[in-house]
Amino acid sequence: MSTLPRTERRRPHRLPRRVARSLAETADPRDALAGALRVVGESLGWQFGAVWEPAPGRPEVLHCVETWQANAAAHDFGLTSKSTLLAGGEGLPGRVWRDGEPAWIPDVLANSNFPRGPAARNAGLRAAFCFPIRSAGGMLGVMEFFTTNRRELDSELLATMATVGDQIGQVVERRRDTEALLAKEARHKAMLGTSLDCVVMMDHEGRVVDFNPAAERTFGYRAQDVVGREMAELIVPPELRERHRRGLSRYVATEEPTVLDRRFEITGMRADGTTFPVELAITRIDLPGPPTFAGYLRDITERKAAEADLRASRVRIVEAADDARRRLERDLHDGAQQRLVELAMDLRLARSRLDPDPAQARELLDSALEDLAAATAELRELAHGIHPAALTEGGLRPALEALVARCSVPARLLDAPDERLPAAVEATAYFTVGEALTNAVRHSEASRLEVEAELVEGRLRIKVRDDGRGGADPAGGSGLRGLADRIAALDGHLELESAPGVGTVLRAELPCGS
Amino acid sequence: MSVTRPGSIILGVSGAVLIVDDNPRFRSRARRCLENAGYDVVAEAADGAQALEAARRHRPAAVLLDIRLPDRSGLEVAERLGGESRPPAIVLTSTYDAADFGDRVARSGARGFLPKAELSYARFAALVS
Repeated sequence: MSTLPRTERRRPHRLPRRVARSLAETADPRDALAGALRVVGESLGWQFGAVWEPAPGRPEVLHCVETWQANAAAHDFGLTSKSTLLAGGEGLPGRVWRDGEPAWIPDVLANSNFPRGPAARNAGLRAAFCFPIRSAGGMLGVMEFFTTNRRELDSELLATMATVGDQIGQVVERRRDTEALLAKEARHKAMLGTSLDCVVMMDHEGRVVDFNPAAERTFGYRAQDVVGREMAELIVPPELRERHRRGLSRYVATEEPTVLDRRFEITGMRADGTTFPVELAITRIDLPGPPTFAGYLRDITERKAAEADLRASRVRIVEAADDARRRLERDLHDGAQQRLVELAMDLRLARSRLDPDPAQARELLDSALEDLAAATAELRELAHGIHPAALTEGGLRPALEALVARCSVPARLLDAPDERLPAAVEATAYFTVGEALTNAVRHSEASRLEVEAELVEGRLRIKVRDDGRGGADPAGGSGLRGLADRIAALDGHLELESAPGVGTVLRAELPCGS
Repeated sequence: MSVTRPGSIILGVSGAVLIVDDNPRFRSRARRCLENAGYDVVAEAADGAQALEAARRHRPAAVLLDIRLPDRSGLEVAERLGGESRPPAIVLTSTYDAADFGDRVARSGARGFLPKAELSYARFAALVS
């Protein structure tokens, strides 16, 4: 149904004004086009109108983006138009697009360049005109109208429509620019909104201009409560505020960037007054006028804790290595070396008694042989404790079998990999099992121990189980802690399950890949 | 009183010796070594406290003293013994090298240092005479 009063229709010279009014009422560019079609079509009393634009991704071809019809008769023609693609110069829209000039067809059925002829005949459409929709940036598309009777060229009308085409083009382009801008703003707002890092914007006087959701969560303020307040008061600890203020005013005065555009670690303060370590980068936002700054902040409490753990673990590993060397020195000195001293004394004495007292000399030589045997045994034990030959030569299976065989509590090796693994993995696995067995023998009152080592998807899984009294301290003694450090250094992990009365299971997993 | 034996002639006084070391196996071998040469091992001590007590009781002419004792450094014991009237001749010994102790051996007042593995009556006698 037409929405214009009868008296208003068929007055072409009023068209520009009416179109302007219609355009002014619409905000959406699509509505602008649809409204313009309706206003023009109704004003002229014609039956069908359509807008054609370059197809997305195929700018050399036109497709129909909007249609209007006065009644149902032209409905199918609309459908046909919407499913038609026209090349430059093809059909009425194609001609106008190519030439950039309005065109008039008195009878489309008599026109050789009109691909939609059959559909037009079915709809009873005969005369048509078409004009460019133009903006400052160029031609956006073309608009066409059809009526049921044959009509001769109306130059005045066509000229008026050219003007209307410019009007429509300008407004549609403006609407589209605004739409694009709003979409961009919405995207940026979403970026700030979803950012995990805090983004705080500050003006040249140190007042908060913007405070994103991550900053709200991290610092415990609502953005609406802090905008306009001095940032130093809000998120800088009291003892650092003067430095912050001085730095800001110095930068504003001298424009010498000393802290801009690099990351550094400082202390931040939450709304409740608690402080925490923060990684901060400040940039200056490029806008006309006094400087505005954006600060990108990250709460690095966890990272600092992890760094501290890592440092502590490395210190423990170095100390453990030093301890092991000290123990080794002591074991060598107190053990094998003593034996060799005693051996030297026996031999020297035996030599001096060889002539005067051969019997005593023989006794001394027997004693010397015992010393030698004891010294050799001590050294063998020592070497075994440092790094057993079985492990180097044969890998985990024979080394674990030996460990299990030497265990004073009955122990079984259920499974061990046959393949060789990286040396660090084999050594760590061996000492883990050794430590676990030692602890079980010493503390668990177990009667049976089981050891299992399995290679699963490039990871070595070790299990040492005992049927003792359980209740082992998961923090373990320094032995277990030292193991945990070694295992962590290889990116593996260690866990202890020790239900009281049930027994203890120690599980370790070591990655074997490169 | 002692019988004249090669060691006692060289010492010039009674050849009374005190052996101080926490390792009984070393003490028994050292005793055998020195007694075979004519010294009279009048006492053995296993730590610094016992050493001072034995020195006071027996007033030995010479002491074979291990530097590493469980309760204090042998060097400290050597200095204490050196402060007595008519101090004994002290020979320091150790499983370690003399070089490991630097000039502390010289400053302790001992006659000298003998590595345990090289202990013989001749070298001991050379130091205490």
